[in-house]
Amino acid sequence: MAQTLDRLYSQLVSAAKVKRELLSASFELTSRCNLQCKMCYVCQNANDREGMAKELTTEQWISLAQEAQDLGLLFLTLTGGEVFMRKDFREIYQRLMMMGFILTIYTNGTLITPEIVNWLAAMPPYKVSITLYGASGETYKEVTGFADGYARTVRAIDSLLENKIPTDIKTTVVQGNKHDYDKLLDFAQQRKLDLGVVNYVSPRREGTNTDPIGNRLTPQELLDYEVHINERNMELGLLKRKDFSSSKESPRFFESGLAGTRVSRETSEAFHCLAGKTAAWITADGRLLPCGLLDGVKAFPLSKGLAAAWEELKQECDGISPCKECQGCLFQAYCEHCPARLLKETGQYTKNAPYLCELARKRKEAVNWDVI
Amino acid sequence: MKLKSGFLCREVAGQWVVVPLGERVVEFNGIMTLSESGALLLRTMENEVQEEELVQIVLNEYIVDEESARSDIREFVTSLKDNGLLIE
Repeated sequence: MAQTLDRLYSQLVSAAKVKRELLSASFELTSRCNLQCKMCYVCQNANDREGMAKELTTEQWISLAQEAQDLGLLFLTLTGGEVFMRKDFREIYQRLMMMGFILTIYTNGTLITPEIVNWLAAMPPYKVSITLYGASGETYKEVTGFADGYARTVRAIDSLLENKIPTDIKTTVVQGNKHDYDKLLDFAQQRKLDLGVVNYVSPRREGTNTDPIGNRLTPQELLDYEVHINERNMELGLLKRKDFSSSKESPRFFESGLAGTRVSRETSEAFHCLAGKTAAWITADGRLLPCGLLDGVKAFPLSKGLAAAWEELKQECDGISPCKECQGCLFQAYCEHCPARLLKETGQYTKNAPYLCELARKRKEAVNWDVI
Repeated sequence: MKLKSGFLCREVAGQWVVVPLGERVVEFNGIMTLSESGALLLRTMENEVQEEELVQIVLNEYIVDEESARSDIREFVTSLKDNGLLIE
């Protein structure tokens, strides 16, 4: 009767895929953030009046959640921007918890106070997922613009853990924090946590004053980072060396980031993830997207209802052709291309992206040399 | 016996699940999966009910002998109790 959530999730995904039912979603409650990360794909300033005016109201989010529940939604992620920027976040969270969703909160952690920990502990989510942007105040200053963000985030993580609130940590690697991996891994190990790594930084979806492309690692730097991660994880016994040269699967140790979980490599499909199949994303201003990155297809649930918008979104996703060059590429098993990434990198769904191509080629070379 | 308040039984992707609502998550942090017959029983137990009524419901809905139905129901109820879902 009871089973692990991972196993149940897989089972539900398999069933939902057949019927194309909405099983999981992300609500981007705000695009505003108190940090100013150089690589952010969506960030608006904390006090951006225009952004604030466009945000859906409490009741609109609850209404969308009710519609989503009628469609089958069970797994719901609350994300931003920074969700704790919203003054009504507690009300939204608690009302969603009363609806029986399996809730995950994505946050930078810097605004989590002891009071917030207390009310979260009384009604804990499935998980609080915190992004650590570095292992020191200096790195935080460099990446996010705020040196005190580090101490605030560490306090939040420790307070959540002390109060037995399920918490995980991840980092997004960019130029400003690429040397912090070992310290971040130590931080995670000391707390008996895994450290997720978001390795892909996308060109901006929207927002202002950020420069993701200028701050992401080059393909060679990213490969070096991945090799280092693998070496450290093997040292710690977290990872066993595997011969990938005879496998169609490339080594994947990373968080999937915005574009969802990769689930298949059906060559006839443009999407290898659940976006537009069983998963969707609603932006702070109420657009229904397949995922947080892909704004090339969208529907408007506030005007036509979520059920109709979901049907429209699925049809639009089905109309996206796979990239033929990518399909025929020898390095495809080492690549993380998808319609969202190709669109953001090249402006088209069917054109290969030099950044992703070079990274895949370097990964393949590294495997041939047995570096990975 | 009766199901405690604060649990929701719903069908998701063809699978019946029970999820805790709000603060119930503190005592039951997870999801319980149920068969169709389990979901039928659980929804019946949202009101005070005796074992005999549950047996009759199963006998009315499914082709099963009474002894097997009663045995399965007792096992189901025990599992609900073990997971803290029932007021006795």
